[in-house]
Amino acid sequence: MPIEKSDLLQGTLDMLILKIVALGPVHGYGISRRIRQISKEVLQVQQGSLYPALHRLEKRGWLAADWGESENGRQAKFYKLSAKGRKQLHSEESNWARLAQAVTHIMQTAE
Amino acid sequence: MIWWKPWFRRSAPDAKLDSELRFHIDALIDENIASGMSPQQARRQAMLEFGGHEQIKEQLRDVYRVRIMDASITNLKSAFRFIRKSPSFSLAVILTLALGIGANSAVFSAIDAILLQPLPFPNGDQLMAISQFQPKLSNPSSYVAPVRVEDWNRMNSTFQAITGYYVDDASETSGALPEKITWGLVAPRFVQVWGVAPALGRDFRPEEERYGGPSAVLISDRYWRRRFGADPTMVGKQLRIGGHSSQVVGVMPASFLFPIHDVDVWTPVLIGAPYTQSRNATWYRTVGRLKPGVSVAQAQADLATVQAQLGKAFPKSDGDLAVSIEPLKETTVSGVRKSLWILFGSVSLLLLIACTNIVALLLARSAQRQHEISVRFSLGASRGTLVTQFLTEAFVLALSGAALGLLVAWGAAHVFRALAANLPRVEEIHLDARIVAYAMACSVLVTLLCGLFPAIRGTRGGISGSLAQASRTQVSARNPLQWMLVGVQVALAVTLLAGAGLLLRSFQALGRVSPGFETNSILTMHISASWGETADMPRLMQRIALIVEALRSVPGVEAAATSAMLPGVSGQYQTETKILEGEQDPQHKVLAETRFTSPGYFETMKIPLLSGEACREDIKNPQIMVNRSFADTFLARDGAAGQHIQMLGNSFLPPGQIRGIVGDARESGINREPGPAVYWCFSAPMPDPYYLVRTTGDPMAMAQTLRSKIHEIEPGRSVFDISPLTDHLDDAFAENRMRTVLLAFFAVTAISLACVGLHGTLSYSVNVRKREVGLRLALGALRSQIVKQFLWQGIGVTLLGCLAGWILAIASGRLLSGMLYGVSPSDATTLAAVVALVLGVSVAASLLPAMRAARVEPMQVLREE
Repeated sequence: MPIEKSDLLQGTLDMLILKIVALGPVHGYGISRRIRQISKEVLQVQQGSLYPALHRLEKRGWLAADWGESENGRQAKFYKLSAKGRKQLHSEESNWARLAQAVTHIMQTAE
Repeated sequence: MIWWKPWFRRSAPDAKLDSELRFHIDALIDENIASGMSPQQARRQAMLEFGGHEQIKEQLRDVYRVRIMDASITNLKSAFRFIRKSPSFSLAVILTLALGIGANSAVFSAIDAILLQPLPFPNGDQLMAISQFQPKLSNPSSYVAPVRVEDWNRMNSTFQAITGYYVDDASETSGALPEKITWGLVAPRFVQVWGVAPALGRDFRPEEERYGGPSAVLISDRYWRRRFGADPTMVGKQLRIGGHSSQVVGVMPASFLFPIHDVDVWTPVLIGAPYTQSRNATWYRTVGRLKPGVSVAQAQADLATVQAQLGKAFPKSDGDLAVSIEPLKETTVSGVRKSLWILFGSVSLLLLIACTNIVALLLARSAQRQHEISVRFSLGASRGTLVTQFLTEAFVLALSGAALGLLVAWGAAHVFRALAANLPRVEEIHLDARIVAYAMACSVLVTLLCGLFPAIRGTRGGISGSLAQASRTQVSARNPLQWMLVGVQVALAVTLLAGAGLLLRSFQALGRVSPGFETNSILTMHISASWGETADMPRLMQRIALIVEALRSVPGVEAAATSAMLPGVSGQYQTETKILEGEQDPQHKVLAETRFTSPGYFETMKIPLLSGEACREDIKNPQIMVNRSFADTFLARDGAAGQHIQMLGNSFLPPGQIRGIVGDARESGINREPGPAVYWCFSAPMPDPYYLVRTTGDPMAMAQTLRSKIHEIEPGRSVFDISPLTDHLDDAFAENRMRTVLLAFFAVTAISLACVGLHGTLSYSVNVRKREVGLRLALGALRSQIVKQFLWQGIGVTLLGCLAGWILAIASGRLLSGMLYGVSPSDATTLAAVVALVLGVSVAASLLPAMRAARVEPMQVLREE
């Protein structure tokens, strides 16, 4: 069953976006497709959450955006990671790892 | 509520958003077609999957809205919540600020009205006060002869016009009873120079300004309303002034604040009239209006050239004269400039103390809020958000303080008027938009001054000031800073107190001065007369002598006399005189204060006769008294009596003979050492000298009796300006008193604030260290030791503050020089007294918290943990 954004932890979507964008410049449609593919259709990001998140991250300076030609020859807005964004991604990754570890630990020991 | 939204939107063009979203939808459609749907189906499916296009767009727009308004409203809300939550703290801050900003705005309103605003005439900065003076005499700038004003006006090239005026008292006798009016006699071009047209009627016509032409009068708005009930048909009516009937040709507007404010009527001084012809009779105050673009220096040079030409043409009367010009505003306000700036400096110090106090309070506050701050940080607030919020809190406090402060300023404007009615332009002081703007600027400054530092300091360290630590277990590290702030307050308060102390001591010293005459039980008054009477001098003298005699005959009157100037009221009239007997060193000029008094003057003022005999009044062979200082300086001690003295320059009297020597008296100001003085026994250098009456009882109680006595013998004259001499002497020091009272008030406020600061900081420190104190008490410390420790902490800071304040006071004492009398700016007694006072009150302020510390119950405090 796909998990929608509202079920994601606060701030997780941002981290996922940063992670995807870290792979290379990509447009909104691409991000949503990759999240779906990589999570094996478990995570499905609503456009209504994706685009505000993208623009918020761009405003914070974590993402940079450029208009360019897409694979099918149309104009699309491509996002890429800024230096600031890369730093943010690192800190979120390590936080996530600690959190995940802690949660897993609790779930296992409390059984 | 949407209307303001576009204003706060940063450029995020809708078209771009659209095309970005459109791309996504197209991609979805392509994907669906690729998976085998029909184009319509693919589109419908894509739209469904994508969700509300417009909704998303609105969300995206939201991202770009700068939330100034939202954020400010949130901050304001939380600021008000914060104020409500701690009412006593907020009230203390607001009241402190109200006092600080209020006093500051009040003094600023005076400075603005008196010093900064131009004179209330069109292009007021073109108006120049012009005077003639004799470079060798130290007299203040003098009046000008009417005929000379005409010469200057005709020959200069830098003024639009030059005019003159003289203000006299007169009786207006068209009504049932004579009414005393203030009468401005004005030279031609009068209305033109001031640049204010009559509100009703017209200016004088040229024929009305010529001798023998029709007589015309302009009346003031005040007089028009008071006497004629603002009669709209006033123009054309007749008035009888000084026995002459004149037609009212116009009413000046209410806004016309002639340099002398209580003038009721103006009439032209007629060109060609015999009394304007003498080059020696100087009685005009002279005002000129510069041509546009002409500087004061150019005008000065121009008039100097003109006067040099006149000096050649009339060597006898004009040879020695020089001209000085000064902006009229300078002449009006220069006397009070220094006082006002000193007051402004003092209130600014006061505001600074208030701010320092508030910084200390806010610091303590933000230490208490450490927990809240940590929680906010961990919930994701940025430091900027928190600093903004704290600043908003400070701003709301400052703004409330400023609003209350404006009330204070409004009240203070009234106090100003009551305290210093003689202050120039005092009636122009009022609360207007400029003052409100100033108060607002003050509150913004205060916000930054008070709020920024605690906000930045309080939010330092972020989450690291960790949640886990309970604040009460720590001894606050912010103490040294707070103590420094207390020290600064004490230092500033000491500075202000020292200034106030010096002024007070000068005031005391002035009160102790023996002026050489007795000022109590003297009633002074004027009796209306006109200059026309000086044409028949013997008759004038006889009339004055009769009045003096009548006054003396009233029971309860000890003595009566006249004097051209009031004794002891600041005013100098120095002339060069010549002693006819013996050789005189031409290098050594005989300069003496010159007074015109009736023979009974010395008896009335109780100035002792040291040798010789009392003088009598004799117009043909004038008699003279000199004071001891004159005799010692210029006369051989033995043969003083009998020598003759001649006034040089504009002499209207033949040489006089010295009859006796009297004691030195501080005639030209209680604060001036008496110098050589010559008294001419001549009661009528002017038709209306001051009448001085020494009474046995309260002088004002005699006023009505004396008035009716004069009415008996002179029914056509009005008696006015009846007041005790002591009032005049007080008035002469009105500015001095205002300065002293205000500075004392500021200083007391300052020391009170500093005490509040000391008390607050020490209380805070006691609170924070309660646990430590409890522990020490539990371990056997004596309560007296605890008291001593906290007390010393307070006293130590105060001592350091006093030391700094002492240095500041000595450094700033120079500013007061010239305002002090009989006390040096670095007077050790004053400073020591101030320090003792400050130490005394600071001990009192520290004692309470120190005692509270000692009353801590160890068990209770330790159990709280």
